Amino acid sequence: MTRAGIDDNRSVARAADREATEREPRHRPWVGALLAAGIAAALGVAVAGIPREHAPLPLIARYALDIAIPRWKLTEPVNEIVYGTRGFDTFGETFLLLAAVMSVVVITRPREPRRGYFGEAAAGAREQTQDDPAVGADPTEQEARSAERREQGGASHGEEPVETPDAVPLGTPAPERAEAMTVVVRTAIRVVLPILAVAGLYLVVWGYSPGGGFPGGAVMLGVLLLVYAAFGRRKISRVIRPDLLENLELAGAALIIMTEFLGLVFQGSFSANWLPLAQLMTPLSGGVAQLFSASELIEVATGLAIVVFALLGISHDWAPDEGRGSSGGDGGQGQ
Amino acid sequence: MILVNYLAAVALFGTGLYVLLTRRNLIKIVMGLSLMEASTYLFLVSLAYRAGSTAPILLSPPPGHTARQLAHGNVADPVLQNFCLTAVVIGVAVTAVFLSVVVRVAQHYRTLDADQVRAMRG
Repeated sequence: MTRAGIDDNRSVARAADREATEREPRHRPWVGALLAAGIAAALGVAVAGIPREHAPLPLIARYALDIAIPRWKLTEPVNEIVYGTRGFDTFGETFLLLAAVMSVVVITRPREPRRGYFGEAAAGAREQTQDDPAVGADPTEQEARSAERREQGGASHGEEPVETPDAVPLGTPAPERAEAMTVVVRTAIRVVLPILAVAGLYLVVWGYSPGGGFPGGAVMLGVLLLVYAAFGRRKISRVIRPDLLENLELAGAALIIMTEFLGLVFQGSFSANWLPLAQLMTPLSGGVAQLFSASELIEVATGLAIVVFALLGISHDWAPDEGRGSSGGDGGQGQ
Repeated sequence: MILVNYLAAVALFGTGLYVLLTRRNLIKIVMGLSLMEASTYLFLVSLAYRAGSTAPILLSPPPGHTARQLAHGNVADPVLQNFCLTAVVIGVAVTAVFLSVVVRVAQHYRTLDADQVRAMRG
């Protein structure tokens, strides 16, 4: 068979392969359906017997409602439970979040330490994308590399980057560079951003009304993501840096540990209130609950930001694995 | 008729489990897990519901009530709302970890098919 014929056969096989993946093979759908239906039926029987909307509130809920005002001077029982009565549970949850953030950071981290989430990979991009002649990459790797090169084509030898997206004159032919959004979106986000940021902080400070550190942190992440989406990564690169975010996150965690531990020191019980309670319906009225809530804002906002930007900035690491690279000389390892 | 909500949560859970068991695409498996998480949110919030109740907020009680009366009156269960808050945060964290693992698997094996990822097989 001629070389062209072989190539032809290969492309046919690959096309068949692609079709097969598009048809999406499944694992034993009937067994899965049977198992899922069985478990759903068992759960359905179970939920038929649990208390419904006319049942009296459980004692623990009544207790929380009862002590919210006299003991914590909080008019928001949910916050009183989150940061007060069940503070230890929230404490554990915070560190579960921290553990998840650390796992994401470890999994997405490139081999060399980086100072920013974006852009730094470009410095070593030439070396990274070069095929090592001594190793001779296999066809799949060559294909993946060429695909990556195609994707990055615009970025590496495009036009000069501009300082701010606002400097790009209106009417520049689309698609605009993937740096920033159109002037309409940018203007809208400029208007909305301060309102959103203040609303997020309000949720935390006015903790005696619905709110608290968790929703506040999520709103702050939304603010960061809006800036990123509208103005591009260059605009946020001064704030969104791994070292800054990670230190802030750990400072928040330390603040939470201190808040809860000082209860043990001053009041004899972990997560007890050791701060004086201000008057009802003032920002300081929750005592230690408000401090906990504010630290939780730092923790959640920076933790989620670290996760999101670590995932956005994840790049392909072309350095060969230790096991694989050893056969073909030193394989560009450790130089 | 809050039972409908309970059953909807169970149906969501079953759907998520079915996706988890039968799909081979890793992204879809993560989506199935998220469905199962979402079913717990629905279940917890439905469990907190009480017929004709108000929100468990003592800030501005309805006219003719004091905060103290409200605390002993007909309100939704704040403890279960707290559980839901906890579940949401943990759900986000777990999904993020799964997705980052999926990205690394895709880069390493150049596939998202769970059956092709078989480096650990004998």
